[in-house]
Amino acid sequence: MERIPVSAEGLSAGYSSPVVEDICFNVRQGEVMTLVGPNGSGKSTLLKTLAGCLEKLGGTVFFDGEDTDNISTGEKAKKLSIVLTERIRPDLMTCRDVVETGRYPYTGRMGLLKDADRKAAQEAIEMVGAEDLADRDFSEISDGQRQRIMLARAICRQPHILILDEPVSYLDLYHKLAFLEILRKLADEKRLAVIVSMHELELAREISDHVIALKNGRALYSGKPEDIFTKDIIMELFDIPEKLYDKYYTNTMKGKM
Amino acid sequence: MNRGKVRAIIAFAALIALLLVSLIINVFTGSADISFSEALNALFKGVSGEISSDILWKIRIPRAFSALLLGGALGLSGYLLQTFFHNPIAGPFVLGISSGAKLTVALVMIAAVSRYHSVNSLTMICAAFAGSLLSLGFILLISRRVRRMSMLVVCGVMIGYICSAITDFAVTFADDSDIVNLHDWSMGTFSGMSMDNVRVIAVVVIAASAGAFMLSKPISAYQLGESYAQNSGVRITFLRCMLILLSGLLSACVAAFAGPVSFVGIAVPHIVRVMLHTSKPVLLIPGCFLGGGIFCMLCDVLARTAFAPTELSISTVTAIFGAPVVIIVMLRRRKGEL
Repeated sequence: MERIPVSAEGLSAGYSSPVVEDICFNVRQGEVMTLVGPNGSGKSTLLKTLAGCLEKLGGTVFFDGEDTDNISTGEKAKKLSIVLTERIRPDLMTCRDVVETGRYPYTGRMGLLKDADRKAAQEAIEMVGAEDLADRDFSEISDGQRQRIMLARAICRQPHILILDEPVSYLDLYHKLAFLEILRKLADEKRLAVIVSMHELELAREISDHVIALKNGRALYSGKPEDIFTKDIIMELFDIPEKLYDKYYTNTMKGKM
Repeated sequence: MNRGKVRAIIAFAALIALLLVSLIINVFTGSADISFSEALNALFKGVSGEISSDILWKIRIPRAFSALLLGGALGLSGYLLQTFFHNPIAGPFVLGISSGAKLTVALVMIAAVSRYHSVNSLTMICAAFAGSLLSLGFILLISRRVRRMSMLVVCGVMIGYICSAITDFAVTFADDSDIVNLHDWSMGTFSGMSMDNVRVIAVVVIAASAGAFMLSKPISAYQLGESYAQNSGVRITFLRCMLILLSGLLSACVAAFAGPVSFVGIAVPHIVRVMLHTSKPVLLIPGCFLGGGIFCMLCDVLARTAFAPTELSISTVTAIFGAPVVIIVMLRRRKGEL
């Protein structure tokens, strides 16, 4: 039977009261699932809950078919890595140092790196094409380069699941495309299950295998990108009046959406 | 071996050498006129009842070791607070933690001295710990509301002033005999330490420092922010509590025995970071301890000898060397971060 790295049943998440409710999905190996929806629709909350940064409020999450409630924190950390929107500002850390922090669940009591950890970090750096950045100070590189390093950090853990919260939001177009290229490659070659949220619908359409459209904490629609990114659904999802939609989308992206 | 490793080894060798040199300077200099050979003689004979031996074994050596241990405690406490708040200008003094400890210690001292004529070390540490946690509690409440690092520090300084004002008020109305004692201590000094004090200090400070060292791994993950740390498997609540308790305990120990000592907690971690050129806690934690010890011992020599026989308060000297470091750090930060 095919392994399903991550799935959820009736998942609800939030702080004291639920922000998102009744979310169900399966992400298979090598699949990219994208969350789209307006700001405040609960994308980040859902991702943070899956990543273990927030306690879930209800429902069940399975990693590799196992209920996450029965998996230890350390084991969960080995299975899943994240890349977040928040910018980090570590002092005096080279990009390699930042990448190597991804090995955390594998290191011993004092967190000292072994050769295997260094090798995994090097492979991750090569995977994202950041060899020339490796020994530069993390605070000196551009946002696009930083996201790439954070991705390397996430994959050097050799996880089964990769979760990314709006990873390309602050990047220029070239870096957006380059980043998503790497992401797609990770899914195709490393067979990772990828869950990503983004606002760039035209790009989401290209890299996703599956899309969940969230609105007001509910999965409004769920399905293949070509079924979700239609005029009607986009208008409904983002409350866009038809006139406005036509002005910007029908003319510029004819036939696309 | 890579460059980082070589650098770390050289830096630690230098720190340890400096520590020994400072220790020797501390033991062999002072206002009493004791020649080097006399001092050496007294040192090897142990406690013999001669004046020079008494001065060495009952005054200078305990004082040197208390400066070493308490200085290390301050350096480390500052490092832990900077880690906790992700704020490069945090430290036990500027956040008002030292002053909070000073306040409770003063109150306990006044209350106890009038009744029992003495206070034991443990009571003092407990009182100081309670005071430092109280100040930390306020700072934590404030830190939820202010996002800017500089505002947090301003609030800390205000808390410090409030605590100092209450302390001064209490001291003003205490009995005459206590005031002399309190006044000296409330300015900050390493004088008057006994070997018994040093033993208590050593136990508390070394235990707390070892505890901090054992947290190196989660601290390294915490540096990238809470979410990344949590996803790496760090028990975040436990780590945050430990950071607060350990930094509180370390600065409480200093406040209980030496009173407030300014700027060591901020300055030392920065100096050590530049020296080691790393952010790895496994190196920075012992580095900050050694650096703090050296810094305080050297400052104490200056405090004792610069205008001998008049003694300067330790804070006067540490501020002269520590405060400029803080200014440099603030200037070197990129815009918009503070």
